[in-house]
Amino acid sequence: MRVYLEAARMSYRCYRTYGAATLAGLATNGFFGLLRSSVFIAFYEGRPIAEGYTLDDALTYVWLTQGMIMPLFLWGWLEIADTIRSGSIASDLAKPLDYFGFWLGRDLGRAAYHILYRWLPTILIGLIFFGIGLPGSALAWLAFALSFLLAIVLSFCLRFMINVVGFWTTDVRGIMGMVLLFVNFLTGFLVPLEFFPPALRAIVTELPFAAMISIPNKIFLEQAQGRDLLLLLGRQLFWVVVFVGAAWLLLRSATRKLVVQGG
Amino acid sequence: MRLYLLLAGARLRGQTQYRVSFALQVASSFTSTFVELLALLILFRTFSSLGGWSVGEVAFLYGLASVSFALAELFGEGLEQASRMIREGEFDRVLTRPVAPLLQVLAADIQPRRIGRLAQGILALALAGRWTTIDWTPLKAALFIGAIASTAVVFLTVFLIGAAICFWTIESSEFQNIFTYGGTELASNPLQIYSRWLQGIFLYIVPLGLTTFYPAAHILAKPDPFGLPPFTPFLAPLVAALFLGLGLLIWGLGLRQYQSTGS
Amino acid sequence: MPLVHVEHLQKRFRVAERGGGPLGALRRVISREGRGVREVAAVEDISFAIGRGEMVAYVGPNGAGKSTTIKMLTGILVPSGGSVVVDGLIPWRQRTMLAARIGVVFGQRTQLWWDLPLIESLRLLRHIYKVPEGRYREKLARLTDLLDLGPFLDRPVRQLSLGQRMRGDLAASLLHDPKILYLDEPTIGLDVVAKERIRTFLLDLNRREGVTVLLTTHDMADISRLCERMLIIDHGKLLYDGGVGAIAERYGGERRLVVDLAEDVAAPAVPGARLERREGTRLWLSFRREEIGAPALIAALTARYAIRDLTLEEPDIEAVVRRIYEEGLP
Repeated sequence: MRVYLEAARMSYRCYRTYGAATLAGLATNGFFGLLRSSVFIAFYEGRPIAEGYTLDDALTYVWLTQGMIMPLFLWGWLEIADTIRSGSIASDLAKPLDYFGFWLGRDLGRAAYHILYRWLPTILIGLIFFGIGLPGSALAWLAFALSFLLAIVLSFCLRFMINVVGFWTTDVRGIMGMVLLFVNFLTGFLVPLEFFPPALRAIVTELPFAAMISIPNKIFLEQAQGRDLLLLLGRQLFWVVVFVGAAWLLLRSATRKLVVQGG
Repeated sequence: MRLYLLLAGARLRGQTQYRVSFALQVASSFTSTFVELLALLILFRTFSSLGGWSVGEVAFLYGLASVSFALAELFGEGLEQASRMIREGEFDRVLTRPVAPLLQVLAADIQPRRIGRLAQGILALALAGRWTTIDWTPLKAALFIGAIASTAVVFLTVFLIGAAICFWTIESSEFQNIFTYGGTELASNPLQIYSRWLQGIFLYIVPLGLTTFYPAAHILAKPDPFGLPPFTPFLAPLVAALFLGLGLLIWGLGLRQYQSTGS
Repeated sequence: MPLVHVEHLQKRFRVAERGGGPLGALRRVISREGRGVREVAAVEDISFAIGRGEMVAYVGPNGAGKSTTIKMLTGILVPSGGSVVVDGLIPWRQRTMLAARIGVVFGQRTQLWWDLPLIESLRLLRHIYKVPEGRYREKLARLTDLLDLGPFLDRPVRQLSLGQRMRGDLAASLLHDPKILYLDEPTIGLDVVAKERIRTFLLDLNRREGVTVLLTTHDMADISRLCERMLIIDHGKLLYDGGVGAIAERYGGERRLVVDLAEDVAAPAVPGARLERREGTRLWLSFRREEIGAPALIAALTARYAIRDLTLEEPDIEAVVRRIYEEGLP
């Protein structure tokens, strides 16, 4: 266990050294938050509520999702694919630790950094300039924290699997771009899923992508209480189990391929 | 010009060796931008107008901005590579050749995968054509072409300034995203929905408002929310040329800076 | 009038210090505080002149200011003080004009198009340097012959061996008949055969066409084979400007044998070699070619001690400079 914690700490420290990039990234997140907020404010003109969202809800959603971009790291991540290409993966796999767990540890360390230096400041900007709403109770915060963590693990599993596909094709970059940008839409990042046409919405809410952004967002907005809240968390947990299992299986057949063909 | 074609052609021929990847990249460029358009259309399902503009009118503005940005990206890729060239010392080589450095940098890379965004912009314009009734006149057609060219030049100049800034500091290169990706996002919506200072920046500093919003408003016969002179829409080419001049000046200064510090 | 004329050349850089995480970056943005700036002189005060047709080695340890000087000679960098004139031009002011008259080869960075066949890179360079078609064909045929490019002209550059690529790079930098050729580590990473091939070509080029060559290298063999004159710089100052012979004879002949002994020996000694350094069972022995040959030394060693491993090191310029400091100039 210690080694995974250590991996997380190392990765956290590593990201800390990119101070200026963090600042520029925050400015970009903030700017896009501003643009998206302006669009919602203009849309809501003379209309108090739409699809269950008040303007305040919509703005909260904007700043929350802007803040989640970096912790979820949905914009492409090819570290493992790069080690496959360079061949250094062979020695990584030979190390006496769980490969998946090692990278998960690293990714959680990275996410911790991004929560502290990207999510938190972004939420603060939203709070100060747009008066966004925050969860009102400790329980709601706790539920959100849990949901956020599950979303990060889920996002990691997805990225991990795309990277591992690198064992079979050299085209991971293209696949990553394709999948993740589609994910952008299906997670409810670009528009809350509640605004989708009913037929499309019925499908999209059943997909695992909803568990990455839409569900944490609903919980942050306190749109679900009691049994509903538990159901949402249960749904996320279900997908985490499925994704972790799938990632394991994929990694196993990839390692077998490596052993048989020598990469 | 001939030399540019030769150099860019060489770069293209080099790229075609990775053809599979190329198809995927075009596809991912298309989907990534297509979902943005989709998100906009979904919001218009719930809301009827954005700052007094209908879905077709916004789609027109959006298409105009997208097509221009795609063109700028297509030809400005080399500028985006400038920071890498400077960091890795490749720029020294540029300076040992008897050809203008800017030409060499522009020709260093060309990205045909950007036609994904171009296709998506054309799609938006086609939808706009169905949903609006534009009273086309030769003057409006000329204004339309002029607006696209001018906007593309403004975006190219942003890339150029971004590249020039790399001569001073490589740290700030991420800020450029605010004016490029942020700029298209902003230019895709009617200007009046933004706060005053944002309008000011994008009218008078990075004049995207003058090259997209004003020509589009004129073509669509929408009222001018800012009460600028009636010839304002036709200033686009002049404004773009002035901005380009500013960009070239900064590039020249940057080059001087590079020659005195060697990055 | 010498081809290259450098007088009291100077180049200072300001170096900013970084670090401190996101908060440090923020601090640097909003205040000048904590933005430690040091001034570093890469080139302090250098003067020399190179005549037409000379072949000069420009050497010194890493960070001595070699590449900064070359960059000022080619117009990439503007000097902070002193003057440079190359072929009657001031490089930084008339950079483009000068560029057509010089050739530059950076040993570790190719100027060829990575994904294209070598011949296409040469064709592009012909357009960049505006070489007339007839002249280009003639030149290409000659260089293909001399550098034996034929077998790989049609192969993408990324598939070439290091030696082939270097030959391609040399051809690329000579297409436009430069008057002066700057070579930065042209033999780095090459095997002995490939090195020799490049050296022969350069000698021939210099003798037959009178191309002036300024060469930076770490390889003493490059220098003694190619040049009659050498400039040694260190810490941005000229340490030596004179014949190669004296330096090579005095310091360059010294080679070094690194020996790993199987067991600890109290006071190891071998006739003909000097014990330079010792760390546990590892010994550094320096010896001179004319006093004892490597085989004889190794034989003498193995006769006395149990040896686990041996490495023979050829003299490099670092060692020469070190010894100049230790023993003074000849």
